[in-house]
Amino acid sequence: MNGLLKPLAPVLACCGLLLAWQLASLGLKNDSFPTALESLRAIPPILTDKESLINILASLRRMAIGFGLALAFSIPLGLLMGRSRATAAFFNPLLMLIYPVPKAALMPIIMLWLGVGDISKTLVIFLGVSLPVIYHSFEGAKAVEEKMLWSGAAMGLSPGERLLRIVLPAALPEILTGCRTGLVLALITMVTSEMIARQSGAGNILFNALDMGQYDTVFAMIIIVGAMGICLDAAFEIVRRWLVRWSEPQFDMPLSFS
Amino acid sequence: MGVTPIRPGQLAGVSLGRRAATPIIEIEHVSQVFKTSSRRDHTALSDISLTVGEGAFVSILGPSGCGKSTLLYIVGGFVSPTSGTAKMKGKPITGPGPDRGPVFQEFALFPWKSVLGNVMYGPLQQGMKPAKAEALARTLLAMVGLTGFEKFYPKELSGGMKQRVALARTLAYGPEVLLMDEPFGALDAHTRTRLQNDLLEIWERDRKTVLFVTHSVEEAVFLSDKVVMMSRSPGRIREVIDIDLPRPRRREELLLDPNYQRYIVEIERMFDASGDNELPS
Ligand SMILES: Nc1ncnc2c1ncn2[C@@H]1O[C@H](COP(=O)(O)OP(=O)(O)OP(=O)(O)O)[C@@H](O)[C@H]1O
Ligand SMILES: [Mg+2]
Repeated sequence: MNGLLKPLAPVLACCGLLLAWQLASLGLKNDSFPTALESLRAIPPILTDKESLINILASLRRMAIGFGLALAFSIPLGLLMGRSRATAAFFNPLLMLIYPVPKAALMPIIMLWLGVGDISKTLVIFLGVSLPVIYHSFEGAKAVEEKMLWSGAAMGLSPGERLLRIVLPAALPEILTGCRTGLVLALITMVTSEMIARQSGAGNILFNALDMGQYDTVFAMIIIVGAMGICLDAAFEIVRRWLVRWSEPQFDMPLSFS
Repeated sequence: MGVTPIRPGQLAGVSLGRRAATPIIEIEHVSQVFKTSSRRDHTALSDISLTVGEGAFVSILGPSGCGKSTLLYIVGGFVSPTSGTAKMKGKPITGPGPDRGPVFQEFALFPWKSVLGNVMYGPLQQGMKPAKAEALARTLLAMVGLTGFEKFYPKELSGGMKQRVALARTLAYGPEVLLMDEPFGALDAHTRTRLQNDLLEIWERDRKTVLFVTHSVEEAVFLSDKVVMMSRSPGRIREVIDIDLPRPRRREELLLDPNYQRYIVEIERMFDASGDNELPS
């Protein structure tokens, strides 16, 4: 019984949430709060509309590019900072300045310089993803056991090889934790950037619908974006667990949704 | 009654390795001072001089914290001494190299590699063909009694098994000098005895130079040509003792050998007299 219940738990939670929503909106009878059923019914038209699909795909593409570039930049930087005091001393104050600034708040300036197109939005996503990935790569690299590096050195690995072939794999669990946070942030910054620079994308559909008072579409889009986040996170978690299978305890952990 | 084989009172710094005159490792007036977090200097090693002859099996025996590991790290080139020099084959040691193979107290296996991958790592790094490296790794793993565990990850091994993988991994890239830091400390008595025998067998075949740190007087006497006794605060060499027992050594024979017993008793007595130790383990 317990074994059957476990995989069903997230489904049950979703159903419960939808039911509560349905009841609440029936009770409130507010125009701007459509029922769960109405919102769900608005999903298929969005997903079959070519225009909407192009928008959503454009969002996903920007997100993928921003996320990918951020990883390509942040992981090496974080690892270098973790293993070289000089690099850390140089970049740490810089990152400390950038860290508390909401990346979306930079959007107006970036738009001013780079326009409202893909480049600006991708850059904001890039910035949003970079910090947690740098931070976790940094912490991961710092924690690598010294004797492991010594063993590598004794085998004749050069400093560069040690960074690539010892620090990187040893820090991988920590790096991937950062990437997972980064992935969620990529989704958030993606929607936010499209809210500010309305031109295309999932956020664009959402806010246009809001302007036009199509509240069922607004809620449908929230569900779609949320579902995208959940699926991406779950997919990433599967990849992550496979990549670090050597480091984790064997007993099963429930699929978690962040 | 009989000859006393121990010649105590030998000063630190005399040449080691009785049959091989060629020195392979020369440690000259090495001191190591650490800055501690309380900003006080801590002298871990004080004016250590030691010469190890090629092919010699030398054990370093001493209380916890006397700087045995530190000395090994200096020879390995992982730590540079505060003063003095360590030389390998006449050349000052400036860094690690595959001619000196460490087996660390903490194993330091690569957790993302399987047991087989760990042992193959060194040979592959040195350009050995994968098939050949794998065959070599399997042979070494069989030797340390880990056949059947090739696909395991380090996290799936017990402490003793990890230690054996670490030994196989270092042997795999064929260092001229083995630097072993309490390699059998974490093992059960039975495995320990077996690995001591295996190590001795390998050593008697290849005559690699071995610097071997241990807490066990018995182990030191059983394995070594020389036992270097250290004392603590600051870490110094107290005594260097030649172990004049016949080779090849067989445990059954040694256990009945009064000379073997005498070495053990004498060394333990020396440590007791100094009163600064937690020996034997
Ligand atoms: N990186 C370091 N910084 C400061 N002090 C250190 C450092 N490494 C070692 N020491 C100090 O140097 C002394 C010798 O340490 P070392 O690890 O060489 O001892 P050891 O003889 O190997 O001990 P054990 O038998 O317990 O392994 C200790 O007092 C230790 O506190
Ligand atoms: Mg030690």
